[in-house]
Amino acid sequence: MRIDIDNSYLAKNPETKSVSFQDSENSKRLGDILDMIGRIAALDFTAVLNPSSKNDVVDAIAVGLNMLSEELNSNVVEKTKLDEVNCKLERFAHTTAHDLKSPLNSIVGLVTILEIALKPDKDSEVHSCLLKIRETTTQMKDLISGILDYSKIAGDEIQKEKIDLNEIIFEVSNLDGILSRAKIEIIDILPTILFNRASMVQVIRNLLDNAVKYSDKKMCLITVRVKEMCDHYQVSISDNGPGIALENQKRIFELFTKVNLSKPDSQGIGLATVRNILETEEEKIWVESSLGEGTVFTFTIKK
Amino acid sequence: MKQPSAIFIFPSMLRETKKIRFTIGSDNILRTECFPDTIMTLEDGRESTKVSAEMVNHQPHPLLCDLTNVIKMTQECRQHFAGPEHATTFSKCALIVSSPISKMIGNFFLGLNKPLKPTKLFTSKEEGLSWLMTKD
Repeated sequence: MRIDIDNSYLAKNPETKSVSFQDSENSKRLGDILDMIGRIAALDFTAVLNPSSKNDVVDAIAVGLNMLSEELNSNVVEKTKLDEVNCKLERFAHTTAHDLKSPLNSIVGLVTILEIALKPDKDSEVHSCLLKIRETTTQMKDLISGILDYSKIAGDEIQKEKIDLNEIIFEVSNLDGILSRAKIEIIDILPTILFNRASMVQVIRNLLDNAVKYSDKKMCLITVRVKEMCDHYQVSISDNGPGIALENQKRIFELFTKVNLSKPDSQGIGLATVRNILETEEEKIWVESSLGEGTVFTFTIKK
Repeated sequence: MKQPSAIFIFPSMLRETKKIRFTIGSDNILRTECFPDTIMTLEDGRESTKVSAEMVNHQPHPLLCDLTNVIKMTQECRQHFAGPEHATTFSKCALIVSSPISKMIGNFFLGLNKPLKPTKLFTSKEEGLSWLMTKD
């Protein structure tokens, strides 16, 4: 540690000089503390300070830093373990969901064969049962697709490319038939961003689909806006739907959380997937809503 | 370094380990005081809880714990003192922290380990005893 001493001041105050040199031991202790802080800042928790036997403030700081380093190390180790477990769980969910797709497709096929073979009367119990099997199977397929979308984000390395957000919204609106159920207004010129194309399609699809699915109006009106900030864009997708109660606004991004129970086909995966995609890229998403006044989802995208 | 003193103690029972002196007076408050330059490990913490529990006949009592002479307390030891076993032995705990290191340890203990039983830091035994004697 380097200490700058004003020589003219020392010449006038010789007693200060002797005190300064007496303090060289303290300087070393403070230097060790600075080194320790530097190592902690670099997430190196292996260093341990040896306090003197003075039990003074400097020793107390040294002991405090030792304890802080120990605690931070434990938290980092714990987080690493949790990340590993999460990764394994997401891979397990992905594999399980993938393996379930095939038998489900077989069930759909078998139901079709049964319908053709039995030709049941529309009022009959057989027809009603086959219909229920088909509906339940469709729900299961949707659930499995949702789990696959959610879990595949963690598994693969994400390739980024330049994508035009206008194109993505146009593509999703047309291919998913959203335009037949909603009017979409793009207020601002949307930017070209660097992002994984499939992931951004998923984000836009889930947000638009959400607006349409929960709309309580004859015509769902969706508005897309963008606000340019210094290092990122804020993209907002708002609707004229029923709105989300304040107490539910944090929960809607949690996996398998359904706040609107009137929609039995909702799996509670869509918004969790959106958040997962964005947070994986260190972006943010939040919701603003009042009951009866629609909902605005806003997410960030780095420039 | 200050030696353990008998001030404000009316000993009716006294025990010692290698690192700690335990006394319980007619006020039913268990007092613990570490010997100079004590390093507390998990093993020491467990031993201390065991001795204390025996002295209070496994009934929750208030504890006046003088940390002044402690120069290090391991993470595991702090976790032990903050945990359920210690909370069943002591109803509340006044920690005496009258040296810089003990203050630092005490603040870490309260802030990071969040002990289950009511715990407060004091710089004097009188204040600690006064708080222990107040009814919640």
